[in-house]
Amino acid sequence: MSTAAIKPKGARVVPPDAGPETWACHYLSSTVGSKVLVAVTGLLLVGFVVFHMIGNLKLLFGRDDVNAYAHFLKHGLGPLLWIARGGLLAVFVVHLALAFRLQLRASAARPIGYVYQRSAQATPQSRTMLMTGIVVGLFVLFHLAHFTFGWVHSADIGGGRQSDYLHLLDEQGRHDVYSMVVAGFRTPWLSILYIVAQLVLFCHLSHGIQSTIQSLGLKASRFAPVWSGLGYATAATILIGNVAIVLAVWIGLVPPVFPMVK
Amino acid sequence: MKFTLHVWRQRGPEEAGQMVTYTVDAISPDMSFLEMLDILNEDLIKKGEEPIAFDHDCREGICGSCDMMINGLAHGPERGATTCQLHMRSFHDGDELFVEPWRAGAFPVVKDLVCNRSALDRIIQAGGFISVDTGGTPDGNCLPISKPQVERALDASACIGCGACVAACPNASAMLFLSAKAGHLGSLPQGEVEQQDRVRKMVAQHDREGFGHCTNINECEAACPKEISTEFIAQLNRDYICSAVRSAVKG
Repeated sequence: MSTAAIKPKGARVVPPDAGPETWACHYLSSTVGSKVLVAVTGLLLVGFVVFHMIGNLKLLFGRDDVNAYAHFLKHGLGPLLWIARGGLLAVFVVHLALAFRLQLRASAARPIGYVYQRSAQATPQSRTMLMTGIVVGLFVLFHLAHFTFGWVHSADIGGGRQSDYLHLLDEQGRHDVYSMVVAGFRTPWLSILYIVAQLVLFCHLSHGIQSTIQSLGLKASRFAPVWSGLGYATAATILIGNVAIVLAVWIGLVPPVFPMVK
Repeated sequence: MKFTLHVWRQRGPEEAGQMVTYTVDAISPDMSFLEMLDILNEDLIKKGEEPIAFDHDCREGICGSCDMMINGLAHGPERGATTCQLHMRSFHDGDELFVEPWRAGAFPVVKDLVCNRSALDRIIQAGGFISVDTGGTPDGNCLPISKPQVERALDASACIGCGACVAACPNASAMLFLSAKAGHLGSLPQGEVEQQDRVRKMVAQHDREGFGHCTNINECEAACPKEISTEFIAQLNRDYICSAVRSAVKG
């Protein structure tokens, strides 16, 4: 905290001839600039989650559909795949790093807390954004370990035999994503974990999306209910779409194909 | 009415404080919260104890001095009211009341319930003014400003700088104060010219003072005795983004 009065007409904070690094350092590292960046990266992540869900829903259209889509994503994009992966990682890192940095600042801003703590109107999900964010982040790591690297679980391929996720192949010799997902969600503890993670993601997004609109300065009283409705609707769509896949496997809408390995 | 009070007592800025329990009796429901504290202080003085220090000035809800956190709510449970306009009828007979000063690193406690809110003044000094001489009172309507615009500026200018927004915010952010001050000037033609420069300087000073960031949870809006809307925070964010883009493009 500075105690000296500053000159009202003092030096410009960013001189006109300053380089881009001064500009970035000044605008992007301020509390407002940082939260705008958290908002923008958050929106990009929401976009990713929506497309991820749409891709996953191909599972409901059959084994061939989803395997062909997965094959296209992995082998049909060429170098674009690595650009997309790198971009996604960068967005994740910026979102997390800035959120943590702002939270550290906020903790330092109130060194002594209140004896009597009470909230007037903040929603529970808005007060727990950091916690739900950490849970979602850990879930993403688990999800990668589970389906991308196949470290967590192996698939029962009939006749008491087990197969590694990554060695499941369909008739065309493509990676059998369909059987991998079916094997995963027929395991109760895995499917419950996925549903819980989706509920936590719903909490994070139900505040996150409307908060993003406010941070970008787009929320005005006329449209405020529309924006908050849109936030809840998007979060609910993601929740329903993703949980539908788990439930479809449970109720046998997406039946297992045996033997899974040729 | 009878109350049990737990009040933060701190002898000076450098000393450690603690909650001390008092009881008050024969309190009229029509007394304001500050009058109840006056009665408690008279008792303390009669007993030869140090009275509780608290800030107050106008006692009509317009100066923003009477800052205290009552049962975890800034200015107590009454919406749109300062502590001096909070009456004891808002509580039940026999209630336990926790009275604490504003808590923020930027608002150091001076004594008991009094804290130093000069950080807000320094945010104003950084940009909450109009640099040009606007002369004497202009003739009515010689500067055309639409009615909604006037109302908007007046809504923002209602801010009395009490700091309840900072106290209520879990991040101790002064964003509602800052946005009301910037929004007030930026909504009028005299202040609009400097708005992009203003928001940049005021946000920079806000950060230098050690306030936290805004997480859009609207606790400040509920605490504000003048019921200033968080819509002004959206306006501030918009102006800040415009300022950043303009500065990147035009220097």
